[in-house]
Amino acid sequence: MRKGESIVAHFDWALFVVYIILLIMGLSTVYSTAYNEDHPNFFDFSQKYGKQVIWVGFSLFLGLLVFLIDSDIYRKFSIPIYLFTLILLVIVLFMPPVNGARAWLGIGTMGIQPAEFAKIGTALLLSRVISSVNIKQQTVRTVLLANSIILIPMVLVLLQPDAGTFVVFTSFLFVMYREGITYDPIILKALNSIPGIKFKETWVGTHFIPLLFVVVFLSLVTLLMSNEVIQFDSLSNLKIAGYWVVMISLTLLAILFFLILRFMSSRRDRNRVVLIVIIGYILASGLVSTVNFGFQGLADHQKDRIELFLGLKEDPDGEDYNRNRAMAAVGSGGFLGKGYNKASVSSVESNHVPESETDFIFCPFAEEWGFLGTIILVFLYMFMLLRIVFIAERQRSAFNRIYAYSVAMILFYHFAINIGMNIGFAPVIGIPLPFFSYGGSSMMSFSMMMFILLKLDSQRREDLQ
Amino acid sequence: MNLDGRKYVIITVTLLVGIIYSIRLFYMQVVDETWTLRAQEIAEKRKEITPPRGVLFDRNKKKIVSNRTYFNLMMKESEMKNFDTVAFAKLIGWTREEVRERFKEIVKGEGTYRNKHTGKRSSNYQKIRAYPFLKEMTLEEIATIAAHLEDFPGFYEEVTSMRSYPYSNGANIVGYLSEVYREEIDEDPFYKPGNNIGRAGLERFYEKELRGRKGIKYIVTSALNNAIESYADGKYDTIAKQGPPLNLGIDIILQAYGEKLLANKRGCIVAIEPATGEILALVSAPTYDPNLFIGKRNISKNYPKLLLDPSKPLYPRPLAAEYPPGSTFKLLNSLIGLQEGVITPESGFPCNKSVVGCHNHPSAGNLADAIKFSCNPYFYAVTRRIIQQNKEKSVFVDAEIGLNLWAKYMHSFGLGQNLETDITGLRPGSIPDANYYDKWYGHHRWAFSTIRSISIGQGEVMLTPLQMANIAAIIANRGWYYTPHFVKSIGQDGPLEQFKKKHYSMVDAKHYEVIVEGMRRVVHESGGTGKRAKLKDYIVCGKTGTVQNPHGEDHSVFVAFAPMYKPKIAIAVFIENAKGGGGLWAAPTAGLMIEKYLTRKITEKDREKIILEANFSGIK
Repeated sequence: MRKGESIVAHFDWALFVVYIILLIMGLSTVYSTAYNEDHPNFFDFSQKYGKQVIWVGFSLFLGLLVFLIDSDIYRKFSIPIYLFTLILLVIVLFMPPVNGARAWLGIGTMGIQPAEFAKIGTALLLSRVISSVNIKQQTVRTVLLANSIILIPMVLVLLQPDAGTFVVFTSFLFVMYREGITYDPIILKALNSIPGIKFKETWVGTHFIPLLFVVVFLSLVTLLMSNEVIQFDSLSNLKIAGYWVVMISLTLLAILFFLILRFMSSRRDRNRVVLIVIIGYILASGLVSTVNFGFQGLADHQKDRIELFLGLKEDPDGEDYNRNRAMAAVGSGGFLGKGYNKASVSSVESNHVPESETDFIFCPFAEEWGFLGTIILVFLYMFMLLRIVFIAERQRSAFNRIYAYSVAMILFYHFAINIGMNIGFAPVIGIPLPFFSYGGSSMMSFSMMMFILLKLDSQRREDLQ
Repeated sequence: MNLDGRKYVIITVTLLVGIIYSIRLFYMQVVDETWTLRAQEIAEKRKEITPPRGVLFDRNKKKIVSNRTYFNLMMKESEMKNFDTVAFAKLIGWTREEVRERFKEIVKGEGTYRNKHTGKRSSNYQKIRAYPFLKEMTLEEIATIAAHLEDFPGFYEEVTSMRSYPYSNGANIVGYLSEVYREEIDEDPFYKPGNNIGRAGLERFYEKELRGRKGIKYIVTSALNNAIESYADGKYDTIAKQGPPLNLGIDIILQAYGEKLLANKRGCIVAIEPATGEILALVSAPTYDPNLFIGKRNISKNYPKLLLDPSKPLYPRPLAAEYPPGSTFKLLNSLIGLQEGVITPESGFPCNKSVVGCHNHPSAGNLADAIKFSCNPYFYAVTRRIIQQNKEKSVFVDAEIGLNLWAKYMHSFGLGQNLETDITGLRPGSIPDANYYDKWYGHHRWAFSTIRSISIGQGEVMLTPLQMANIAAIIANRGWYYTPHFVKSIGQDGPLEQFKKKHYSMVDAKHYEVIVEGMRRVVHESGGTGKRAKLKDYIVCGKTGTVQNPHGEDHSVFVAFAPMYKPKIAIAVFIENAKGGGGLWAAPTAGLMIEKYLTRKITEKDREKIILEANFSGIK
């Protein structure tokens, strides 16, 4: 660090401000949701909002600590940090289960969830390992090494069991994809072992991860919409099957992407862009139709099994309880919402939506602030994610870039799955909404993740010195 | 390998999810109403408050139908703990199996939920909801149970309002309440399962007035179904409003006395105030105590019994039983004859028993005496003159014209058609016209001699006791009537529009005096057939009737009004299978009723005793 330069020089204020805005929105939502008439004080530490204030304060304090430590420590100590989080993950398996999962380390309510911190450890070690290999000479060995760094904590998390965090760990596959570590070498090896075939790379193998994500995501959306009928009251009770809503939305999306890319891309790329959009559209429509009609064509008991897996079983008071109540809460928000502290379905007091202050906190927010609130929230998260991608791309060190991508992808997964399960686009797997949900572990781990990123970024110029 | 392009793939995937979520949120929150409705279903409970029904007063402001507080024993399964079936069964006096059966019944039977998305119906029993385990218990019944309810968490009492009948009289007038059927709920959104509806009588006719207006309270409820707060601070709530009281023309004392007189008999008494058309009493015998029909338990216990009773206590005879009027009908034939000019008050006809049978009396030299003697040949002659006026050469064509004219007159007395009385279950009676006999005998195949029994109120002529009483009222009024009705006023409003309209008979007022005089002679002159209706202080005008009954003993009939001038009461008494004529049973009964109404006292104690002791029920 140069003399006279503040530790916040080259600090990315934009990201920090969005982070703070989300914190404040989260705190106010927790206050409104868990509001207890007998304890109206926001700082009443016997209440969830009081506790959340402590967590936020503690997180900010951790952030300050992070800023006081030289950024180099994270690269250097990534192996001990990773091992430490792994040990915690092992220890937690011997703890008494809470709500059927051995996820808590500590006594009573004052515990931490090691799984949340394991994400940081994994991100740091993965960044270090990938940044140290020469991508141009990647082998099956590199692929396997990177994969095992992810796989070990994944297995441990699954043993708790914590399916949500397990899924979140697959976000690192996106990071590997960005860094060129794909499953292509494995696929090539298999392909080229067939006599007469000699590939240098395969398109599918290279883009396997994002392709898989899009296929899984679109299939889920199609399946979940397949049984739904959307009713347009304002358009003389027009009713449209879920499948057609997906198809229409897909078409509109394609047109939108086409227009954006056409005006933004250079003349040279224009034809290629048009081709990509058209091919992408045809493939996506094909996928949606196949999934939809394939599903509709299934025998009833097979359908039941899939619906059961997705938490889609048509029983509003039974298996589908959470999803149905959550969607009712979100959908009843309307355009402007019911008003602050006016959530009738999802407040903790009414308790129609379970876990409405933690995993389902999007419900009370959407119910109180309506579409106006949710669109702003989606915009804030989009801004944050793209800002982190932007930050990642401006790093000179590969370690910093890979770490930044890890943060972006972890946040993206939390955003996509958490909000997805509130709007019926994702199965109900309990993972928190970053910076929003009540809970100390997630608040601290996300904040630390964020501050390490901000610290690395603020010191990016020194890396090559 | 160019990896830089891959950031665009990541950006695209991120944006794709963001945009799809935005579209989805727009659909769910702004466009699609389904979720808003679902949220209302989940969190906002519409609590209906059923007001007590309007009460019924008699003409002297005596409450004859009122409301009483009853109790439901409610159960909420989610709050039940360590339920001791044996102890509970003992507490409510049931067997263990009965308690278990009742649980099963509640779980199975309490409503269904229709899934909007699939259209499937499924049972809607919820452990967090309260259901009535025992319904409609009296204060005494609940008192013994309530003391021990704290041993059975999840059970508690709830207040409900039901009818009570302080006088036990007039069951066929007031009707009763019972739980609504599914079709009634589908038809009228006012009703919810478990609500009561007027099932007969005035309760049914004035259902819309009596039920009042339901109060609606919107509350936000929690997942455990506890009320949290009023919705929107009660902005949309409405207050329950009790139905207006009905003020009846009924004199409950007279009604009760009539029911007493007709004990152990089958028959009817209908009394009307001629000046207003208000029904003073409408006795149907045998009758039942309306208190037997309070609440589901009582109804299911008593209704089948009463329904299967061969003496038909549920049958509203005054309204629905169609009887031949017998000799009382001679009054109408006389009036028509006078109006048509085919007889005069001074006309005399010999008592020629060869055409139609008669009892022993001197030949009547004028109309009033003919009424006094109730001379059959006389009225045979009178009616013949009405029907066969020799307007056509052919006797058959002539009879057709005559009969249709006669029927038209009869209709103007409110016969052969439903009176628009404010009660259900009315029958029209029957006045035969030319079409009627054409069906029997063929067109132009009949003449007066074929249909002569109409002259003495036998055969095809049928009247309900209400119509008979109305005839007495028309004669008392000398030619007009208001449709007989029960309700004088609904709250502050007067009677229904249809009861404010005067109906005139086709016979001019001047022709009535001689009939009235004849009716006076029936009661007050020696040789009159209705002497037993005579009162000391009032002139009673009446006419007896003895209806021949092929199935058994003759029916005893009497129509009357009193006093002769400015009449206060018109009455018809019909006693089935009485051993004796109208003068023997119906006339004294009418006399007692008139005296009771006019003076509230009974002077002829012997007469009363005889009537009270008479038993024509077939059951000793």
